[in-house]
Amino acid sequence: MWELPASGPMRVPGRVFADAELVDAIGEDGSLEQLRNVATLPGVVDAVLAMPDVHQGYGFPVGGVAATEMPDGVVSPGGVGFDVNCGVRLLAAPFAVGELGGGREALVHEISRAVPAGTGRGSGLSLSEEELEAVLADGPRALDGVEAEDIELTESRGRLESADPSAVSARARERGADQLGTLGSGNHFVEVQRVDEVHDRAAAEALGLREGQVTVLIHSGSRGLGHQVCTDFVKRFDAAGDRYGIRLPDRQLSCAPASSEDGRSYLAAMAAAANFAWANRQLIAARIRKAITAVLGAEAAAGTRQVYDVAHNVAKVECHGARDLCVHRKGATRAFPPGSSEIPERYRDAGQPVFIPGSMGTASYVLAGRPGAMEHSFGTACHGAGRLLSRTAARKQIKGAELRRRLEQDGIVVRSPSNRGLAEEAPFAYKDVDKVVEIVECAGVAVRVARLRPIGVVKG
Amino acid sequence: MPFRWIEHTGELELELEAASERGIFEAGFHAMRELMSTAESRERIEVPVSLTGADRAALLADWLGELAFLAETRGLVPDRVASLAFSGDGLSARIEGRAGDPPHLVKGVTYHRLSFERSGGGWRARVVLDV
Repeated sequence: MWELPASGPMRVPGRVFADAELVDAIGEDGSLEQLRNVATLPGVVDAVLAMPDVHQGYGFPVGGVAATEMPDGVVSPGGVGFDVNCGVRLLAAPFAVGELGGGREALVHEISRAVPAGTGRGSGLSLSEEELEAVLADGPRALDGVEAEDIELTESRGRLESADPSAVSARARERGADQLGTLGSGNHFVEVQRVDEVHDRAAAEALGLREGQVTVLIHSGSRGLGHQVCTDFVKRFDAAGDRYGIRLPDRQLSCAPASSEDGRSYLAAMAAAANFAWANRQLIAARIRKAITAVLGAEAAAGTRQVYDVAHNVAKVECHGARDLCVHRKGATRAFPPGSSEIPERYRDAGQPVFIPGSMGTASYVLAGRPGAMEHSFGTACHGAGRLLSRTAARKQIKGAELRRRLEQDGIVVRSPSNRGLAEEAPFAYKDVDKVVEIVECAGVAVRVARLRPIGVVKG
Repeated sequence: MPFRWIEHTGELELELEAASERGIFEAGFHAMRELMSTAESRERIEVPVSLTGADRAALLADWLGELAFLAETRGLVPDRVASLAFSGDGLSARIEGRAGDPPHLVKGVTYHRLSFERSGGGWRARVVLDV
């Protein structure tokens, strides 16, 4: 761990989870300056943190964690990010990759037909005002036919109870009304995988994972609705800054005391958007199960169970060391250790499941939270591999069609609405996920349970 | 050229220069139009816009955000600013364009490194877009 000592307007130091090589890479963009800026937030405690996958973001770095003390510490929408409750859900199929055989391409193709992808409007479930209201309040519980086990095996059981749909603007509702059940774009995806290696047999058994098994990883969030919630409140808090006497080095850090009417309003709207995102991933999962039915039959689909669902863009009020803190996780995943009451009972001995997607074509990991997370990182681990190159730089190095050819040569079936978008997500545009996970494990934050390798990807 | 694009890791920054404040908003419009242009479009439409902002920088962010919103929700492919007027902390405008399916590259407009200031004899602004 590396420390940036508190200096100037910084209220606390910054701490970076990285080795010497990653620190050099981190120094190439603006993440460290952004970390210093986050450390100026009123009410921030202990240290602001950068996970090993950190990269430059808007205001807060992506891969950043900051906690402010309630009641008067601030909440900052930029510390959650535009895509509220962007997160990852892992499904485990009852069949092995060997049993899938030639059905692999058909399955990936069917998933690409079933799950709409790309930015913008349409193709999602079109919700009435009442239906949207219910989703904002209750998340996946508002949907028809949801299995109780899926709810149980979702972080916060798929609902932040502080949600208040009335705090979500008409504009946000308009953007989200027909986007439920859609993947989005950029680095969002559905990936069909195989369990390549089990690192912790007891934990893998608790999670229902075994070598050779087919899994499906979903990466998506709250779409245009969550994006608008962030936009609305960054603007509102920016305008209110003088009223609270808050001066900031970056306007995207705009914030308000969490206990103020402004702060409570944001937390209520953010929670509603988070519920929308969990409903979104629930509906995507349902569409994936239908795709499995179409290709492999009803029994295969019925046996495809949810492992867990984690958020990696969210702010939560949590108790850490007898203090109530507003923990901002922006591109960072909660990783509670064994014994935590927040973890589903069946996983409580193993530790909270954490999913770390690698870049397209590389490995992803299943981890389990460890006590070091509570000691070092407010119960938080990384969320992915972290970008190294800009989209333009990635496109300059490879054309989408060539990347598609290389992935398919490696046995990975690819479906993407755009070759341009595909090139932007090239594996070399991201950090080495093996290294990122190794650092998290060395820090005692989480341990590896299993490594997953892609056999097909549907890109957003 | 009144605008240029600057790429960073995971973001797109827009730098605008103009002789007047109004020129900055027009330059921003043209930059967004460049991103949203598409060969396929249908009937002509005209959309009224009315915005307020804490300052000119925030108003500019809102202006560009409005264009992204209209593209996303109404399929507006912007063509020209038919009228643009400023009063106090706000603006009102009429945007002409066509109904279509513009590329949805811009998800929103951030306040990160947002600036709107005098530069030489004119004005310069910077806005970072979320893509």
